[in-house]
Amino acid sequence: MVTITIQELTKRFGGSVVLSSVNLQIDAGELFFLLGPSGCGKTTLLRHIAGFYTPDEGKIWFDDEEVTRLPAHKRGTGMMFQSYALWPHLNVAQNVAFGLEERKRPRKEIEHRVAQALEQVKLSGLGSRKIQQLSGGQQQRVALARALVIRPKCLLLDEPLSNLDAKLRLEMRTEIRQICKQHGLTAIYVTHDRDEALSMADRMAIMESGKLAQVGAPAEIYRNPATRMVAEFIGETNFIEGRALRESSREGFYDVETPFGVLRGRTDGTWQPAAGQPVLLSIRPESLTFGNVLDSPNRFPGHIVDTTYLGATVQYLVQIHGGPLMKVCETNPQEIRLPSDEATRAMAAMNDVVILRK
Amino acid sequence: MSKTLSLLIFLVMTAFFACFFAYPIWAALETAFRGPDHKFTLDYVSEVFLNALYREGLWNSFIIAVWTTLGALCVALPLAVCYVRFAFPGRALLNSLVLMPMILPPFVGAIGIKTMLGQAGALNSLLINLGLMDAMHPTDWLGQHRMLGIIIMEVLHLYPIIYLNAAAALSNLDPALEEAAANLGSNAWNRFWRVTLPLIMPGVFAGGTIVFVWSFTEMGVPLLFDYDRVTAVQVFRSINDLSGNPFPYALVAVMLVFSTLFYLTSKLLFGSSSAGGGGRATTGRETINLPSWLGWACTAFFAFVTFLAVLPHLGVVLLSFSKDWYGTVIPHSLTLEHYRDALGHELTLSSIANSLKYSALAMLLALFLGIGVAYVSVRTRIWGRQILDAMAMLPLAVPGIVMAFGYLAMTREGQPFHWLMLGEDPLLLLVIAYAVRRLPYVVRSAAAGFQQVSPTLEEAAQNLGARPEKALWRITLPLVTPNLVAGGLLAFSFAMLEVSDSMILAQQSAYFPITKAIYSLVLALGSGPNLASALGVWAMIFLAVTILGAGVILGKKLGALFRG
Repeated sequence: MVTITIQELTKRFGGSVVLSSVNLQIDAGELFFLLGPSGCGKTTLLRHIAGFYTPDEGKIWFDDEEVTRLPAHKRGTGMMFQSYALWPHLNVAQNVAFGLEERKRPRKEIEHRVAQALEQVKLSGLGSRKIQQLSGGQQQRVALARALVIRPKCLLLDEPLSNLDAKLRLEMRTEIRQICKQHGLTAIYVTHDRDEALSMADRMAIMESGKLAQVGAPAEIYRNPATRMVAEFIGETNFIEGRALRESSREGFYDVETPFGVLRGRTDGTWQPAAGQPVLLSIRPESLTFGNVLDSPNRFPGHIVDTTYLGATVQYLVQIHGGPLMKVCETNPQEIRLPSDEATRAMAAMNDVVILRK
Repeated sequence: MSKTLSLLIFLVMTAFFACFFAYPIWAALETAFRGPDHKFTLDYVSEVFLNALYREGLWNSFIIAVWTTLGALCVALPLAVCYVRFAFPGRALLNSLVLMPMILPPFVGAIGIKTMLGQAGALNSLLINLGLMDAMHPTDWLGQHRMLGIIIMEVLHLYPIIYLNAAAALSNLDPALEEAAANLGSNAWNRFWRVTLPLIMPGVFAGGTIVFVWSFTEMGVPLLFDYDRVTAVQVFRSINDLSGNPFPYALVAVMLVFSTLFYLTSKLLFGSSSAGGGGRATTGRETINLPSWLGWACTAFFAFVTFLAVLPHLGVVLLSFSKDWYGTVIPHSLTLEHYRDALGHELTLSSIANSLKYSALAMLLALFLGIGVAYVSVRTRIWGRQILDAMAMLPLAVPGIVMAFGYLAMTREGQPFHWLMLGEDPLLLLVIAYAVRRLPYVVRSAAAGFQQVSPTLEEAAQNLGARPEKALWRITLPLVTPNLVAGGLLAFSFAMLEVSDSMILAQQSAYFPITKAIYSLVLALGSGPNLASALGVWAMIFLAVTILGAGVILGKKLGALFRG
């Protein structure tokens, strides 16, 4: 269990900057997520921590030890690769035993720990199987056992679930989180799947073109996105452009003038819009409703142009009169509204309208 | 393509293989195992093992093959690792230069080696000049160490086959497999031995098997070294009293059995294991930038190997220009005389013309067969397509000398294929022999092409109204043309280089191909070796141009053609 500190990390490949002055601290025992679109540098950052890349500038610390230039095989991390990287010439037990053999552990101890690790990932008795004989889910578990058995200083997971089918992915989310917590492991998990990150992370960092866009707990990021990119990447949302008027009559809320009326919302609390400043409003579909919201000036008159039934929810596409198309999502719908020219109105609570800098 | 047409192609191919691959082997074996009373007998074969001379020949062939394979591994593996892993000055250029030996016929190089290692050769002169050798008692390198000379020559000729295979296996390896080992605490040395090497073993062994079988049955090099105590040369020597003598056939049968055994063993040991790993490669391999002195060391290593490999042929070039080369490091004076004489010599012009004719026809035949086999095996689902594909690859495992004897046996007087002899003209026989021997390269090359071109392209043409044959002709064939050209060029140039068939099947000097002409010139007195060298230089220039062409067209995929 280590605290991982990253200082001013910069990496260039050829002419392009893939990581630019990244600063980050991951606390001991934390399950930390690196989330972002492909090409944002999240895997590159992970590979720096594993020791496969050396940064052009900046430092990496494991607790008080600087590891920036320590070769990968001396770092003591346990990594799960996206392709699993299981060695096809070794069987399951031999794959898992590899790291212990490199550490010159006694024969007896290796056997014992391998059996234990396989039991933990529910593969007891499959030790003598060949890798090719395993299903994708089983291979994934072997990869996990192989990384865990060495009792790593930290666990590094590079999109470990991306090659599994949807059902298995859901099961493994819980399982991986449980194992991490059980061992009190510091774990860094790279993914582009926001549901995975939201459901598993203690904290996460959203990355965009080599930079950290925002770091925080899942709910914090979902509720208070710092930028348009973060708001959009972490969940579905509607954007409305506008111009800040002034602080509203209600403390902590601000009025924003939009093409179809004045709306009232809040910032993430770290800043205040100046009067006349162009801003962006982010309103999540699930915070919009066709019912009444008391004490809110946020009305969106329009008509439904499309209805998508998803079982648990219904998604509507609403053409706002004098405004954009907006997504509205109703959970456990009492009635399913069909597209029509009939005028309707959606509303949102003031607290659900987030004002972003433009 | 319609099912009827596929079936037709399948049947034609199968019939051709039956007649010109299976039957000749059968014919050779039959002669080896059939006694005078037309009954099955093991007498001749057991005589081979009882006869001390034959036994020594087999043993020597085996020793040569073992050392050649080991030597080629030792040269090729480090080269391949350096090339795939590290960035060093001149990397791309050296990667192609190091393949040069492929186009340098080893038995031509042998002429050069002989000249340089002879008692009054360049090496001794150099050593005497440096004061390292007594001028009165020069070492007769080739007298005492002929086998070593043969092994060196073959290592230098064959290492590229392993190099190509190992480099391909290395670059196909998912780098994550090694990174996983590093992550678990394994240092670079352990990683190589515990992960990398076991995983590239199938590729390395595929190349190693080809090298082994090749050197086990190599005839040209020992022949030029005048080394009679290997099986291939013993077979060749006994050809003169051929008609009734079953022993060369028995020897050939033994060779075939051994080669097949080696081939099958390596297939069984390494053929089934896949180095694919779970899932796709997720990270591209990056070449490591070495400190500059290490980088230059890699460069020097590549350059040194290339230099060694080219050295014999430099000797040939020098010899072809030299007036006299005796007791000096390089020739006293240079002349163009031999090139003029070579062009004037009756054997030269006719042999060049013959070789061009044989090789061009063989290339066309190999292309025709190769496209057919590749198409059927890649694009159709008819029964037996894999068998056809496997059959087409078999000539890699069957020594050329076995095939040559088979053709000889099946065209003897009274045999059903006697008409192929066309009197004394070996045209048809050589064309068929060359085509069958080089078919694997054409098939792999064409199959690679068909695999890359999605069948939906053809389906789109059919959807727009093209008949299946028309769709094949207008869409797929143009797209695989580069592969076909490359495969064809390889088949052509290897046919120009072919030794065993040429030596055994062409008996009249008027019909000699280049290789046999070079051999008989070497034996001639006077300026014979110089003339042979001049002819050899012509042949090498020719080959260099064609193979470079194939390399340019096929790019990196060149290596895939040499996998067993």
